[in-house]
Amino acid sequence: MNEAVVSVRGLEKTYKVHERETGVGATVRGFFNRKFKDVPAVGGIDFEIARGEVVGFLGPNGAGKTTTLKMLSGLLYPTGGDATVLGYTPWKRDYAFLRRIALLMGNRTQLVWDIPAADSFLVLKQIYAITDADFKVRLDGLVELLELQPLIHKPVRQLSLGERMKVEFAAGLLHGPEIVFLDEPTLGLDVSMQARIRTFVSELNRRSGATILLTSHYMDDIVALCRRVIVIHHGKLLYDGALADLAERMAPYKVVGATLRDGAAGADLSQYGEVVANDGAGRVKLRVPRAEAPARTARLVAELGDALADLSLEDPPIEDVIDRVFSGEQLGAAAEPVATR
Amino acid sequence: MSMIAIYRALLLAGFQQMAQYRIQSLLWMLFAIIRPVIFLAAWVAVASSQGGSVSGYTVGDFAAYYVILTFVSQLSMAWNSHEFEWEVNQGRLSAKLLRPLHPLHYAVVDNIVFKLTTLPVLGLILIAVSITFGARFATQPWHVLAFIPSVILASALLFIFGWIVASLAFWATRMNTANTLWQRAAFVFAGQIAPIGLMPVWLQALSYALPFWYMQGAPTEILRGAVTPERAGLIIAGQAAWLAVCYVGFRLIWRRGVRAYSAVGA
Repeated sequence: MNEAVVSVRGLEKTYKVHERETGVGATVRGFFNRKFKDVPAVGGIDFEIARGEVVGFLGPNGAGKTTTLKMLSGLLYPTGGDATVLGYTPWKRDYAFLRRIALLMGNRTQLVWDIPAADSFLVLKQIYAITDADFKVRLDGLVELLELQPLIHKPVRQLSLGERMKVEFAAGLLHGPEIVFLDEPTLGLDVSMQARIRTFVSELNRRSGATILLTSHYMDDIVALCRRVIVIHHGKLLYDGALADLAERMAPYKVVGATLRDGAAGADLSQYGEVVANDGAGRVKLRVPRAEAPARTARLVAELGDALADLSLEDPPIEDVIDRVFSGEQLGAAAEPVATR
Repeated sequence: MSMIAIYRALLLAGFQQMAQYRIQSLLWMLFAIIRPVIFLAAWVAVASSQGGSVSGYTVGDFAAYYVILTFVSQLSMAWNSHEFEWEVNQGRLSAKLLRPLHPLHYAVVDNIVFKLTTLPVLGLILIAVSITFGARFATQPWHVLAFIPSVILASALLFIFGWIVASLAFWATRMNTANTLWQRAAFVFAGQIAPIGLMPVWLQALSYALPFWYMQGAPTEILRGAVTPERAGLIIAGQAAWLAVCYVGFRLIWRRGVRAYSAVGA
């Protein structure tokens, strides 16, 4: 592994939240005796990220993904544990550190609403002490990659959501950050804009070598960009490893796809596994225990013989795996928090 | 890269932004003028009914006092605490905290832009008010020289004090009441109701002890020419002392506040 540029050890964050009960009595009591409760958001996680990696950070709403990103970018102080990013303690917010990272969030604004983005870029140039030469090269690159030319001279408030996202991206990356934390970068965008942002992030990593930690609810983002994923749930690390191994690790089953010839289209295949889809025209999907998948597939081939037109044996779709993990359905390996890397 | 370059870029963007809201700025400025002019009219009425003066203040003195007070108020006003609450509660502060520049600088630039764009119009209005009410200025050249550091200190003091109040938004969701409280205190102690010399002795003593008079009343009295050189020196020293105290307080509160910031919403 290359040099670790992000190193997280036992990182914790607990929010103190005011508890509000309903009813008149509780409201009156609340005036004199406010109750707070501790809500753990991140419960002691460990991982490292090497320079140049693109890592997907997965978890359901409230899992602690954004809180972790905010701690790593220096916005939040942790309540426990430690982290270093590029050798800095993020929450000390050294200006030298801030010049080398970026946190881009789908709904956050870097830009002044009433003036064209190009003018905001000039302000950022001075704030980040970007040289004229670097500014030109980076801006030209971003304009080309994100197709910004028609957008940057319009007041930001006149841009559509997707257009604004693109200029926000440019604003956040003008200083050439070595580490980019991306929180839901495609949130609310249409399908073609999502694809464009994905291509852009991939190009950003390829061209500048930037290390990227990405959260997204869209598995397409993760599949397109990340070879490695970190899965957290209820603030605990559930999985850290290759995306390709996630299904094997987290889903204790495989999916058998069988296409039957006309005469056998109505055959009952439930003896070979749990039937999860049957289109009635001969295409059936079965869920079989991972360990028994080869034997059951072989039996299915032997017993159906010529009635079988086609057969496939696959890992379940990544969305299904993630869904099962987050809904607490998963078995075996993921039952306990693990770090597999 | 120097702060000068940063300020130049921020000022340019600020003026561009302000150009979008010319009418709003003008209305805010007129709003700021209404209250002192009402007080001026009231004191003129009182003075006229008492033979032309109140405790030695003639109609011309009142006019001079309120014209300069309006000018000083415009130069020293700061409204950050109102916006800051929104920025904290909506998570808008996050973008600023992630940049290598203290968020305070954006507010400094906002202030400069607003004041520079509204001062020419304000100046014309104040000249008209001066002529209408026959303002009598006893200003010597040295008063003007002493006024410059005094009004700069007053502006800095009010600005930093506003940030201290604003920083409470890190802990409290609604800061409007705290804002209102300190603005009402300023209303009484800064010399907005009346020149401090017309107040009961105990209220004068309290005003000299609190920071509010040093934010508005003090530079007003200097520019009006109502102070001796020794008193002007004492006033400026008092302003500097309060500024130092508030700055230290701000640094402490800010450091703790940022730790408490939960960056919700963004």
